[in-house]
Amino acid sequence: MTNDLSWLLKFIVAAVVASAALAANAADPIKIGISITQSPPGSVVQGTQVKDGVEIVKDMVNKSGGVLGRPIELVYEDNQGIPEKGRAATEKLITRDKVVAVTGGHQSSVCLAEIEVAKRYNIPYVNTNCWADAVRTKGYPQVFNAPIYSSRVAESIAETIVKLGLKRVVAFCENTDYGIGQAKAIAEALKQKAPGIDYKYETLDRAGKDFTPAILPLRANPPDMVLMVMLPPPAYIVMNQLYEQGVAPTARTWLYDSSGLADYPDFWQNVKEAGKYMLNFALYHPQMKLPKLAQEVGQAYRQRTKNEPNRLIFQAADSLLFIVDAIKQAKTTDPAALIKTMANMKFEGTRGQFRIAKEPGARYQQMVDIPSVTYQITEVNQATGKTLLIEGPGMPLATAKLLKPAK
Amino acid sequence: MLNVDLLINGLIIGLFYALMAVGLTLIFGILRVINFAHGEFYMVGAYTYTFAALKLGTGPWFALPLAFAAGALVGWLAERTLMRPLYTGYTSWGLMRDEYSVVVTFALSLLLINLVDKVVGPYSQRGPALVDIPRMALGPIMLSGQKLVATAVAAAMIAGLALFIRYSSWGRQIRAVAQNRLGASLAGIDTTRASSLVFTLSGALAALSGALLAPIINASPDVGAFPAIKSYVIVVLGGMGSMPGSVVASLMLGVLESFGAVYISYDYRDTFGLVILMLVLIFRPQGLFGEKGREV
Repeated sequence: MTNDLSWLLKFIVAAVVASAALAANAADPIKIGISITQSPPGSVVQGTQVKDGVEIVKDMVNKSGGVLGRPIELVYEDNQGIPEKGRAATEKLITRDKVVAVTGGHQSSVCLAEIEVAKRYNIPYVNTNCWADAVRTKGYPQVFNAPIYSSRVAESIAETIVKLGLKRVVAFCENTDYGIGQAKAIAEALKQKAPGIDYKYETLDRAGKDFTPAILPLRANPPDMVLMVMLPPPAYIVMNQLYEQGVAPTARTWLYDSSGLADYPDFWQNVKEAGKYMLNFALYHPQMKLPKLAQEVGQAYRQRTKNEPNRLIFQAADSLLFIVDAIKQAKTTDPAALIKTMANMKFEGTRGQFRIAKEPGARYQQMVDIPSVTYQITEVNQATGKTLLIEGPGMPLATAKLLKPAK
Repeated sequence: MLNVDLLINGLIIGLFYALMAVGLTLIFGILRVINFAHGEFYMVGAYTYTFAALKLGTGPWFALPLAFAAGALVGWLAERTLMRPLYTGYTSWGLMRDEYSVVVTFALSLLLINLVDKVVGPYSQRGPALVDIPRMALGPIMLSGQKLVATAVAAAMIAGLALFIRYSSWGRQIRAVAQNRLGASLAGIDTTRASSLVFTLSGALAALSGALLAPIINASPDVGAFPAIKSYVIVVLGGMGSMPGSVVASLMLGVLESFGAVYISYDYRDTFGLVILMLVLIFRPQGLFGEKGREV
């Protein structure tokens, strides 16, 4: 009898301890690492938007009970847009914070450094906004890509240039992996689609403030198009100086932005007349049909910041949703299992349904196919929703709609 | 025509460099230290101007002196709280702790950048133009009304500063301290006050430069890095501590960068100044207008 009681007591104690441990484990948050630029010299603007996007999704997921019964915790590291800092940030997130995946990367140079660390530790890395093909062509199985990629953007831009019937195009690209990579990809795409087009690119220092010497020679010999492959804030300065010198946009020369400049909340604060008549390659336009999830994320972003959402918000949201979905499907947070699950996942995000491409090259582990649009700004201070949509999914380029300055 | 464009543009940019660099030169002349937070004084001016004009509704012309005052205040505070321990109690330069100034001004620079980034936010802000003419043709030259006015104000400020240093009583005291701190002190000049005045002036000039350029080079937390780096090159190139040297070196650098960017390569634009700097250091280490020695 005494033995039976003792056995029962032991069993109860063991059960209580086990369930307490289980409960603690269940309540433990799942840590996901976010490496973004939160201080200069990198693009703090992009970093802030990525943070907004992932925070919105984190709140949505946690409100609905979390994943596998556990809440999500985002662990932030500031990489300052510097590759070495990105490498250190990723190392710290993986080894010290024990995150199950890393995401947030929004500058190609930094992504390229960070994916090396993710590969070494075999941790899933979801690229949020790094366009450079090199992030994919390395063929790392740990790396998954939510944004569009340079050669795809280049193809779209080259098609637009050909349809506009242009003869001479000058691109201004920033001196980063993204800028130079994108400018070269456009050269390659144009060589294939229209070898007769005279295309050249000028590399401008991202830290530079006076670009007039690069612009002045175009005054004497204006091209048919000036193509911007730059990010803010230097992109705004280039636009203003192009306008000041009367180079673009003019009746002779189109100004075409390939990096979604008009999406940024500070666009109109920094450019005025220089933005009117600009053509924009973009991955989001309010007139695009959006899934319900995107509408919810967009609404949450408006409430949070009083700004209109843009592609970065959706890309950031999709990056985190992709990880959350993978955890749900794998039913574990083991990084190796997550990588395996992600590679074969069909994923529904804010931008629609995606599959993960398997073919090697620039599309490797890329979410395909990301919709893109071309639109034209026709007024100063124009909201993106009011701009002239001239090309989009299922809508061929409507060149007849395009407007040009009178002189 | 292109060459005229390049020359004018180079001179305009050179003048803006000069407005930044003379402040740094003054500090070096008096304190014999490089202020690594000089670019952030520029940034303070750019933000003060933009916010005063846009958020407080003062209008750009009233925002300009406000930016000047804000820069003066930051310069004065930096000298009073951070730099003064450098020379308090010492009258001989040999006893001063030079490395202290490097650490403390570098820390101040990082503090100001990150403070503005956190408080104001990362988004760049374009200041309103003093003259709202986005572009105009002056003969063969195209430029904005803002650039024209900013150039005129910068030239007037530099001329005014030169007259102040040359003829005013305070200016004479500053020159005396720059020549020999101990000698000036023995002659009854308050060297501490002269140092404070120079830091205040330097902050004000850098801030004014930031304000004048805010409608051209949009204000952002790290906007000061670019003009500060140019200023360091100019100060050494012109001869450390020489004001005329700084002005001439600024104009030279502006023109050289402008022509080099077109006729050599834009990619190496920032390299030209450094190459000239190396040549000057090899063949004329005291700089273009510098003195070989200052010891008495």
